[in-house]
Amino acid sequence: MKEVWTIAENACKNILKLKVVYFLVACVLILVGSMYRYNEISLNRHRELLLDMSLLLNQVAAILSVLSLTFDIPRELREGIAATFLTKSLGRMKYLWGKVLGIYAVACVVCTLIAIGSYIIYASCFPEPIFLIYVKIQLLIILSAIPMTSICTFCAVSFPEMAAPIIALMAVWFSSLTHRLKIPVLNGGILPDLDLFNMKEHVIYQVDLPWSYILGTALYGVAFAVFVMMLSGIIFRLRDIK
Amino acid sequence: MEEVPVIKTESLSKRYGVLFWKKKNLSLDQLSITVPRGAVFGFLGPNGAGKTTTIKLLMDLIHPTSGSAEVLGKPVWDPSVRRRIGFLPDAPAFNGLMTASEFLNVCAKLLKMSKAERKKRVPEVLETVRMTASADDKLGGFSRGMLQRIGVAQAILNKPDLLILDEPLLGLDPYGRQELKRIIREQNKLGTTVFFSSHILADVQEICDHAAILNRGRLLCSGKLGDLLGSQGISVRLTDGDDLVRDLLPEAKECQKKGPHEWELTFEKTPDSEKRLQELKEKHAGKVEVVEQWESLEDFFFEKIEQDNGGEAGKEAKE
Ligand SMILES: Nc1ncnc2c1ncn2[C@@H]1O[C@H](COP(=O)(O)OP(=O)(O)OP(=O)(O)O)[C@@H](O)[C@H]1O
Ligand SMILES: [Mg+2]
Repeated sequence: MKEVWTIAENACKNILKLKVVYFLVACVLILVGSMYRYNEISLNRHRELLLDMSLLLNQVAAILSVLSLTFDIPRELREGIAATFLTKSLGRMKYLWGKVLGIYAVACVVCTLIAIGSYIIYASCFPEPIFLIYVKIQLLIILSAIPMTSICTFCAVSFPEMAAPIIALMAVWFSSLTHRLKIPVLNGGILPDLDLFNMKEHVIYQVDLPWSYILGTALYGVAFAVFVMMLSGIIFRLRDIK
Repeated sequence: MEEVPVIKTESLSKRYGVLFWKKKNLSLDQLSITVPRGAVFGFLGPNGAGKTTTIKLLMDLIHPTSGSAEVLGKPVWDPSVRRRIGFLPDAPAFNGLMTASEFLNVCAKLLKMSKAERKKRVPEVLETVRMTASADDKLGGFSRGMLQRIGVAQAILNKPDLLILDEPLLGLDPYGRQELKRIIREQNKLGTTVFFSSHILADVQEICDHAAILNRGRLLCSGKLGDLLGSQGISVRLTDGDDLVRDLLPEAKECQKKGPHEWELTFEKTPDSEKRLQELKEKHAGKVEVVEQWESLEDFFFEKIEQDNGGEAGKEAKE
């Protein structure tokens, strides 16, 4: 288990060391803040607009963070960085779990930063209190990264390096549109139902969401992720490594 | 009890490719070799012979098409066995954002070393490969040879029972090469078996006691260097031996004057001459040095490869 933490810590540190991460977080916060200026265009619905924007961008940030897996794993495999680690007494499955946990930690850090920043911006602009429901919805976004990381891992180990990010992005996109694109088998079958994690209206209209719902959704996400990780592990174990 | 070989492969074959897109030719064809404990084993062959393929199979990075391989008495897919192996890949690449000591610490953690052990061992190996001065520099800024040194450092981190090195001499300056040879010898003295591939045959001949030659995926020969290479005679070096020279000259094949009173004589290798020279050495201790002269590995290598290539070409021409 310790090896998994070592790989996770290493993966997480390497991304959080990049200054561009914080630059992008700052850009997101500027965008969120600028929504306050849209009062006229939006016919005084700039409060809703600002909240919607902060949640949407946080979701995008979560997707981009986990999508980095589809670049990171194939690159480490191609350059032979992974080979050095794998030839220590590290099993392939442990390597994958390490990577997944590391990148998930990155997604958590990035999303939390954006969530806190957006909340401060909101609180300084509008009087309506939204704290608890805001926390719950942001938590759901962070939880949605769990099934998404597993999808990205699966793509990273199963498809060629060029195709992996595109396929992963499409898979995530289709999973988020389950209620609109009713393709049987695919939505809710092969792909997870990411709509379950998207409860933006609750913040905007201040409708409470029970903790039991969040817990249930989290369990669903974890179960899906574990299943996909098992599958990825089997494929990864069969693969030749450069 | 028979001693378990450190590496043992049986009819190991590899065809690259996935599912239906397999390559036509086997990259490794029925390789069976054994590497005894304590050996320094040179694994030779021209480009594309299958050396890296074999090494990757031994490290379980790729899977064999057929055949099996055992390392330290256990099948290669057993992860526990890898903790006792040190491995230097073909072209070592590491995460450029990490510093050398950070990287080695991660490796040490993966090898389940305790914190105290890590604190002691990491500076130790950095010193062994002469990289202490660059310990806190980012790996991204390292040159090819410096990376190679870090690669060697991570390979010897766990004081392995078996060192597998893929072209360890590549990219090193003459000092680096000397040092690497010294490291290999030192490790071997500590009881580590060393298995490495290389194109620098003079170095291989200098440090190896066993060798194998591979060509187009097939093993051409393997064994003790002394058995593979033919003897070219025994040479005797005399210091201050003007009087001895006169006695020995009639039987010598060759005679060279090396200094004012220094001579080098070469003799045919026969049981008789061997015995006589040994006696002479004992009688004039300090004045006489006896060295066996071997065929050069380079000549042997070319001969074998050309024989193999020529044989094939000949067959094709006939058809
Ligand atoms: N990933 C791969 N996919 C397909 N073929 C490969 C792959 N790696 C190696 N080969 C093929 O396998 C054969 C043996 O290659 P290998 O890398 O083992 O040679 P080598 O002896 O290490 O050569 P070199 O001295 O150049 O390092 C070559 O013909 C090569 O084309
Ligand atoms: Mg090679």
